[in-house]
Amino acid sequence: MTEIDVDEYADVWVFVEEHDGEVAPVSWELLGEARRLADESGEDLVALVIGEDVDDAAEEAVARGADRVLVADDPVFEPYRADPYGAQFRHLVEERQPSIVLIGGTTTGRDFAGRVAVPAHAGLTADCTELDVGEDGLLEARRPAFGGNVLATILCEDHRPQMATIRPGVFEAADRDPDRDGEIESVEVVVTEDETISEVLEREVGDTVDITDADRIVAVGGGCDGDLEPVLELAEALDAELAASREAVDEGWVENSRQVGQTGKTVRPDLYVAVGISGAIQHIEGMQKSGTVVAINNDPNAPIFEHADYGVVGDLFEVCPELADLAREADDPKEVIQ
Amino acid sequence: MTEHWTVAVGVKQVPDDDEVRIDPDTGRLDRASAPAVMNGPDRNALEAALRLRDEVGGRVVAMTMGPPTATDVLEESVAMGCDDALLVSDKAFAGSDTWPTSLTLAKAAEYLDADVVVCGEETTDSSTGQVPPGIAAHNGWAQLTYVEELEPRPEEGRLVARRDVEGGHEVVAADLPAVAAIAYGENEPRPAGLHRKIYAENEFEPEMATAEDLGLDPDEVGIDASPTQVGGMETVAPADRDGEIVDDAAALLDAMRSEEVVP
Ligand SMILES: Cc1cc2nc3c(=O)[nH]c(=O)nc-3n(C[C@H](O)[C@H](O)[C@H](O)COP(=O)(O)OP(=O)(O)OC[C@H]3O[C@@H](n4cnc5c(N)ncnc54)[C@H](O)[C@@H]3O)c2cc1C
Repeated sequence: MTEIDVDEYADVWVFVEEHDGEVAPVSWELLGEARRLADESGEDLVALVIGEDVDDAAEEAVARGADRVLVADDPVFEPYRADPYGAQFRHLVEERQPSIVLIGGTTTGRDFAGRVAVPAHAGLTADCTELDVGEDGLLEARRPAFGGNVLATILCEDHRPQMATIRPGVFEAADRDPDRDGEIESVEVVVTEDETISEVLEREVGDTVDITDADRIVAVGGGCDGDLEPVLELAEALDAELAASREAVDEGWVENSRQVGQTGKTVRPDLYVAVGISGAIQHIEGMQKSGTVVAINNDPNAPIFEHADYGVVGDLFEVCPELADLAREADDPKEVIQ
Repeated sequence: MTEHWTVAVGVKQVPDDDEVRIDPDTGRLDRASAPAVMNGPDRNALEAALRLRDEVGGRVVAMTMGPPTATDVLEESVAMGCDDALLVSDKAFAGSDTWPTSLTLAKAAEYLDADVVVCGEETTDSSTGQVPPGIAAHNGWAQLTYVEELEPRPEEGRLVARRDVEGGHEVVAADLPAVAAIAYGENEPRPAGLHRKIYAENEFEPEMATAEDLGLDPDEVGIDASPTQVGGMETVAPADRDGEIVDDAAALLDAMRSEEVVP
């Protein structure tokens, strides 16, 4: 193995994920956390923006805490493809030698992180939920393992950069300060369309919602059998955001940006109502930090009850409308007797 | 352009996640507690690969990197319909993280002369999802992840995928050779036929390959080539929940009000 001098690597990098003029919220969550790491190690926080017409995202990255922003702006980067993104990112990593590189654990981030880490022979820790820099200056990347029963700390001593993908929703978004100063540098684009080995033929993307901010969530699972009506009614009555298990997303009942869990988002609302969700460990991983957890399920042995504070064993098609009615009544000022 | 495709499918033997127990003292996985099974998402990968072969013609070869006991998942793959299987096994692989694992599988794909590599989206034991992109990156091949459906276009020398992206879907064409990671649960894996099952268990022997057979230096794989190390493990107690079962919707609303999470 070729030995590298790890001391030649410095700075914390954050990938700012942008699609069609919209930045994935996890990017700002990473900037907030990375600012803390950079301040602790006395290094610069560098944001990396790849895409087409990404000036707004670059300026926003400064407002959210970046000292410097590297911008690779070219039509070859729109829409996203793993090979041009990977090649551009890898080029910058080799040229500038960052010590730490953080990427959102979205389908996009998980798709191309390896295309940077593999050629760089960098350590890449997947889906982290906690980050720290140890006394020796090493990144301590923590990730849940074995269905969330264990938190493993992953280190990368002899290789650089130290890369990690981080689940959406685990960190608070960085506050924005429009008066912050930062340097925006446009970098050389090293990828051409001729060299690409993939082509996006079609793209249908709706509005992506951010369930990670919600105070109250009503989440639906396979138990609703495609009929969302009672759950939507309950969500409205409780003034809650709709979320879903992977089953409900895979069936096409709910859009995938609302998925909670290991391959979805991490949420921590004050109230999480799980409706017709079995409570598979991959789902629990994404919602176990919620305040109060309530479950409605017709199977008294469903594992979700072990992860809930309160539960009703019953048919969701009966319980949800009833609960919605009661909640609405309570909301109605005429009914509330002070 | 190849008219018939060789499709390599990466499969892995993992501890059954329904049975897996964590040793409360060490916080480590008690491997003896859980039977070894095929990684769930790999069944979807096998099904997708078999459909490709059925459409294009050619062959499907299941491949795994693991100890000799991993032959079980190869036999299962052959019972499902794979034409052949490759067991990549060597002491030199011990301690591999995703970097050398994907290098080894990338070399195995080259060794098999694969046009396409199909994998499950991630494994249930380490769930990094990094191995499929890693295989593609090591070989400089195109990659398709979170795939819902594959459509072969042999006349174009491309593989087209409908894939899941944040907020929607896209259709992407990849030049061959390419790596595809199939999203868990996206197809209905076919059951193993009885005759194939008997054949797989009694007659079939997988091809074996060592690091050297794949042209790998022992230094390039295993723990020495793994950039990441486990620095520690702690057991985390999941949030303590009472799981109090109440009678009906009214009682549930009362409970939520007492927690002051609804007005
Ligand atoms: C690699 C991988 C990643 C994954 N990532 C995720 C993830 O991020 N998020 C996630 O959620 N899952 C994930 N999963 C899937 C997970 O393992 C489960 O398959 C999934 O969570 C099941 O969803 P469900 O509980 O909604 O559906 P089901 O398993 O179908 O359960 C439905 C539940 O509804 C109940 N029910 C049925 N009818 C009624 C009724 N009329 N009234 C009340 N209750 C009723 C049933 O008793 C049952 O408990 C992942 C799996 C893998 C392998």
